[in-house]
Parts: sequence; structure tokens; C-alpha cells
Amino acid sequence: MKATESDLLDLISKEAIIDREKLTRDATLEDLGISSLDVISMLFELEETYGVVIEEGDMPQMSTLGEMLDFLLSRINAEAAA
Amino acid sequence: MGRRIAITGLGAVSALGTTAAANWDAAREGRSAIGPHLFDGGQHGPEPVSLPAALTPDGFQAAFEAKHGRKVSGLLDRFALIALCAAAEALEAADLLDSPVLDQRTAVVLGHGQGGQETLEKSYERFFGLKSPRVHPATVPKIMVSGGVSAVAMQFGVHGPVFATSSACASSAHAIVQGAGLIASGQADVAVVGGSEAIATPGCMSGWQAIQALAGETCRPFSRDRDGMVMGDGGAALILEDMRHAEARGAPILGEYLGAGMTSDAFHLTQPSLAGTSGAMRQAVAAAGLAEAEEVLISAHGTGTPLNDKNEAASIRAVFGERATRHPVIATKSAHGHLIGGSAALQAVIALQALKAGLAPPVLNYNTPDPECDGVDVVVGQVRPIGARHALVNAFAFGGLNVSMAFAA
Repeated sequence: MKATESDLLDLISKEAIIDREKLTRDATLEDLGISSLDVISMLFELEETYGVVIEEGDMPQMSTLGEMLDFLLSRINAEAAA
Repeated sequence: MGRRIAITGLGAVSALGTTAAANWDAAREGRSAIGPHLFDGGQHGPEPVSLPAALTPDGFQAAFEAKHGRKVSGLLDRFALIALCAAAEALEAADLLDSPVLDQRTAVVLGHGQGGQETLEKSYERFFGLKSPRVHPATVPKIMVSGGVSAVAMQFGVHGPVFATSSACASSAHAIVQGAGLIASGQADVAVVGGSEAIATPGCMSGWQAIQALAGETCRPFSRDRDGMVMGDGGAALILEDMRHAEARGAPILGEYLGAGMTSDAFHLTQPSLAGTSGAMRQAVAAAGLAEAEEVLISAHGTGTPLNDKNEAASIRAVFGERATRHPVIATKSAHGHLIGGSAALQAVIALQALKAGLAPPVLNYNTPDPECDGVDVVVGQVRPIGARHALVNAFAFGGLNVSMAFAA
């Protein structure tokens, strides 16, 4: 199953409990208050929804939401294509 | 105890309603929230079973979230969310939501028999049933029994003493007494106290069936044909406050906490003991100076189990002797079910409003007098006008842990 950027933003908004309109690509994870527990919760839901197992340790260093979206989309959609 | 302790705010969430006032209205009007509910353990559970229960309808948190957002509430198990909503209502009623006293001079002490049972069962269904190696990452913080007090502290910026108490069906009574102690000893000026429970889950209910404590149809306290308790869920909160602090800021004074008795039977995991329960009541009566009182409203533990009610009637007779029949006895679990750790706080919230209104709400579902519960004045039929200015609230827990609390209007 493929994911879109909009799908991921919905999921992040739900798991990190942040208003959807605050989730812009250039916002930093720190400014948004996205904690490591939020990230793990997000990865858990991604696995539930898309069947893609991504460990927190696999995630590269990144500071903005845009970077995280690009990484997650590439992983999800690579597996979906495979 | 040097400092007098005022009650300046009330909050409640139960099957009877989602505010303290709604709970009182239902109790006064003799409405019961008990009805049959289906408990379905899902694809890995046994056949669903129908049992009487009194469950808070989903969506109870809507008013809270409209005011306070979901940043804290969105991460909670049901038991902690109930506690947070009740605490918010009580703090708002006390006019303390933005008060500087919350920062350093406030305590939060809430009681729960168990923690996040719903979360626990869902994660175990994944683990044992679905054979999934991964459970949700918020599983541990949602299950912990202190999840409720942490949520209240985070939501309202409370940096003072914050902890949970656990003593089965007496949990929120112990919480109230501990919160009062923190004020009396000068460690806090305000204490958010109470408790909640949300264990009406399919797995947990099978445990209650196994111990044969559940009623077949409904809760009938002190009635000869009573046959057990009915599970409820929900919770309640009270704001305790140093009387001078409350008066200085012109807070609404809804009542006064006068003292309590606490005992342990050290006897049996499920059977009560007259020495333990009457001992707790005797201490509370002595602390509040009620031995010779004209009329005291007694909010009985009154679970509707054969043993509890018989022993509780005997306790009231043992403490008050010939004067026992002067004191109206109510048992509101017949309306809201047994909230386990949340029961004592909800009963205190209802009893304080009963004193204020001068009305004793009726014991529901009562059919026949029981000679074994003789010598006490159970309020049956309909709501009764009372002159009592004082109330005793009893909580007698499995494992023989007893608390009796005394309040004044």
C-alpha cells in the first residue's frame, strides 16, 4: 500500500497530537514538540497501516518535518513497490 | 490537626453524568444507570457475556477537550482520562484553574484499584492473541497506576507532591485522607484528591465473575434478596484547601473535611471483619466529634453483597448503639454501580451535595428488609428531607482495608 504526504501528515497530527495546520515542511521537530515517544508511536502506526517495519535506530539525523516526511515516504513506497 | 480543611470544588464523571451536579441530580431523583452490557473479548476471547454494569458513555471528555485541548488527554488510558476530566471540573469550580497556588503549593493525590486495564488487555490481545512481537509504545505509561496524577500535574502545572494511592475499593478514600494530611502538615495549601477506575473490560469482568461477587441483575444494598455488586466505571475529584487560604481568596466553601479513620482487618482477602470496619468508623466519629450527634448522613460502602451489607449494618450498630437509627443510611452504588477505586470520592461528592440540599437520596432496587441488617435506618422509596449537617462516607476494600471519612456541610 502506497502512502501520500497528506496521509503521513494526518498520522503525525494524530499520534503527536498537533494541529494539522501547524505541520509545515520547514517546521523543526523540536519546535513542533515531537518527542522520541511520538516518533515511536508514529512508527508503530505506520507498521500497522502499511506493514513497513522501520526501527527508530534506522532513522537518519534530521531536524525538519520535511526531512522526516521524505525519509518515511521513501521507505514506505520502496517496500510497496518491491 | 491544626489547620481546618475546606472543600472548595467538586468534579465527577460516572454513568449518572459527566459533572458533579449531574451526578447529584440523578442520585436525588433516584435514577439508576445500571443496565445489561455485552462484554466481548473479541476474536481470541470466549463467547461474549451479558452482565449488569453502569458504564460512563464514551465521549465524556468532550467538554474537557473543547476547553483544554488534547495534548495531555490524547495519550491516556480511560481511567486516567476520567480522573483528568473530574479534576479539571473541580479546579474550575474552585476558581483555581489559573491560580499561582497550583505551581508549588498544591498536591495531587488520586486513588485507583488498578491502572490502565483497557490498555493492558488490548496490548495482551496483540501479544498473546495476534502473536505480534510489538505492542504500542505508550503501553507502559498508559498502564501505570500513577498515569492519572501525572496527567493532572502536567495539564495544570502542579510541581508539588503528586502520587497515587491504591487500596482496591478504598483507593480514593485513602487518597482524600492523604491529601488532607498534606494540608494539615503544612506541605500544601491545596490538594486535588479523589480517584477513578475503568476496569469494566472483558478480561477483568471474567475475574469478577470468577470470584462470584457480581449481582445477577442489579445492586440491592441492604435488601434481603441482594446477591452482589454491579461494576461501574468513572471517578470523582474534590479540592481540599486550607480554610484560611480559601477564605482569604473568597473561594466557594462547599463543606469541610473533619477527619477520618483507617484500619486494616489483617484477616481475609475478601471477607469483611466487624472489628476492622467498625474501628475505622469509630475513629472517624471521634475525630469529628459525632458520637452524640443528633443526625449524621451515612453514605455506606453498601455494595449489595450479602456479607458487606450485613457487616456494615453491624458496624453502624456497634459504633452508635441505641442511637444508630437516628442516622439515615444511603447506598448510592445502587445508582452508579461500584467504581472500585473511584467509589469513595464519588460518594463524598454526592454526600456533600446531599448535606447542602438537606436531602438523602434513596437506596434503589430495595425489595425486602433483611433481619440481618436490622437496627439501621436505610433510606428507601424516595428522596428524604434530612436535617443532618454531617456525613460519614465508608469505604471497605477487599483485603480488609477500611476508611471512614467525616465531612460537614
